[in-house]
Amino acid sequence: MDNSTPTVSTDVQIEVRDLHKSFGDHEVLRGIDERIHKGEKVVVIGPSGSGKSTFLRCINLLEKPTSGRIFVDGEEITSRSCKVDRLRQRMGMVFQHFNLFPHKTIMDNITLAPVHLKLMSRKEARERAEQLLIRIGLIDKASAYPSQLSGGQKQRIAIVRALAMNPDVMLFDEPTSALDPEMVGEVLSLMKELADAGMTMIVVTHEMGFAREVGTRVLFMDEGRILEQNEPNAFFSNPQHARLKDFLAKVL
Amino acid sequence: MDSLLSILDSFKAAVNSTFIVDARYMIFLEGIKNTLTITFGALLLGVVIGVVVAVSKVYYYQTGPYRFWESLGQLCRTGRPQFLGQMLLKLLDMFLNFYLTVIRGTPVVVQLMIWAFVVLSSYNEILVAIIGFGINSGAYVSEIVRAGIMAVDKGQTEAGRSLGLSAASTMRLIILPQAFKNVLPALSNEVIALIKETSIVGYVAVTDLTKAAALVRARTFDAFVPLLFVAAAYLFMVIILTFFQRRLERNLQASDRK
Repeated sequence: MDNSTPTVSTDVQIEVRDLHKSFGDHEVLRGIDERIHKGEKVVVIGPSGSGKSTFLRCINLLEKPTSGRIFVDGEEITSRSCKVDRLRQRMGMVFQHFNLFPHKTIMDNITLAPVHLKLMSRKEARERAEQLLIRIGLIDKASAYPSQLSGGQKQRIAIVRALAMNPDVMLFDEPTSALDPEMVGEVLSLMKELADAGMTMIVVTHEMGFAREVGTRVLFMDEGRILEQNEPNAFFSNPQHARLKDFLAKVL
Repeated sequence: MDSLLSILDSFKAAVNSTFIVDARYMIFLEGIKNTLTITFGALLLGVVIGVVVAVSKVYYYQTGPYRFWESLGQLCRTGRPQFLGQMLLKLLDMFLNFYLTVIRGTPVVVQLMIWAFVVLSSYNEILVAIIGFGINSGAYVSEIVRAGIMAVDKGQTEAGRSLGLSAASTMRLIILPQAFKNVLPALSNEVIALIKETSIVGYVAVTDLTKAAALVRARTFDAFVPLLFVAAAYLFMVIILTFFQRRLERNLQASDRK
């Protein structure tokens, strides 16, 4: 493995080098090398158990890589001296099961982290939250609790909660997989809006339509490796790898 | 009719001698005050100990309990501690297991006497009782709180950490409030058990409610009235506590409504 520092390029936002991750004896990631540029919308697809989510969770260190190096804006986050909490403040994450805080109102869900981390005053955070809630049409839910919201609303609030931190990158871990079908659309259209605004996004999903429409690049993962990647049109119309052809035949 | 009246008369006389003569109600008041002081002091200490112990044990299990021997080997070979934090956590966990085993494995009255007559023999008895019951209660509360923490979905921790909150802030702001709500009924059980358990402090020369009854009984040679009163007083305190528990539980349920 080469130990040189990454090529200093403001363009490359996330660089992953030879990433491995094992849970016990089970090797989930078997060497991932990837560069993600500012403003890219990278969509990761693949069969379940292929390591997509683990790959995503390694990028903000929710999973600790077994070996390999990850750089964010040229800073090595896998080094011992990396301030993990600082890193995560710049990286929003959206989960499959929303993970809103059930004991807090929607407003408190959104303002909790920015206020506690002293990134904003309480007043600033509330104003920012109100702006965001107006944008997604849920301002009337500001003082409601998560249990009073539909799945689609919860996920949109979860996205807003991450956005309130003004992140540089957004990670989405199967954001629509736990939703009723009629609620998928509202979440995807918010994500599309975000993509159009220039956010760097990495999205693990089974929504092929979203991958095709919004993605700038699609990665296919299988058994802990990235088997194939391409821009969406070529990716879907002209798959090369037999495993990918097989997968697409099943899901499309 | 006559016999009924005479029973009533003798009951009146017993009440009079139990409470009024020589202002004996003062003894009961003193007893109630001490019972409540010890209960709430011990409760406070027990909850503090319980939360600290529970959080420590949860951290230990989260960071991987099997690194200890590996790290010790490494320390011996290289002289450089790689996982010093985890080793210290392991030592802490071993100590906490010892604490839980000893406290839960011995009678509280024996523990109390050890505190009062051996370890802290020259201190104020009420303070000693608070310490004894608090340390005892902490062992039980810690297991209750630990169960409550583990019942909170792992996604809550991940959400907190992904927003950049530290492990400690996530625990304090996100996990513990939800854990507390989960365990409130079990915690109330512990408080109710505690208030009644304090009735043994007579063993270490504290005049609590039960001891007050014994003192009065010894002077009036009447057992019925003082014991009936004491039983009613405990019952009343428990009913009041239960009332506040229900109200608190209702308030915490605000976020559950659909």
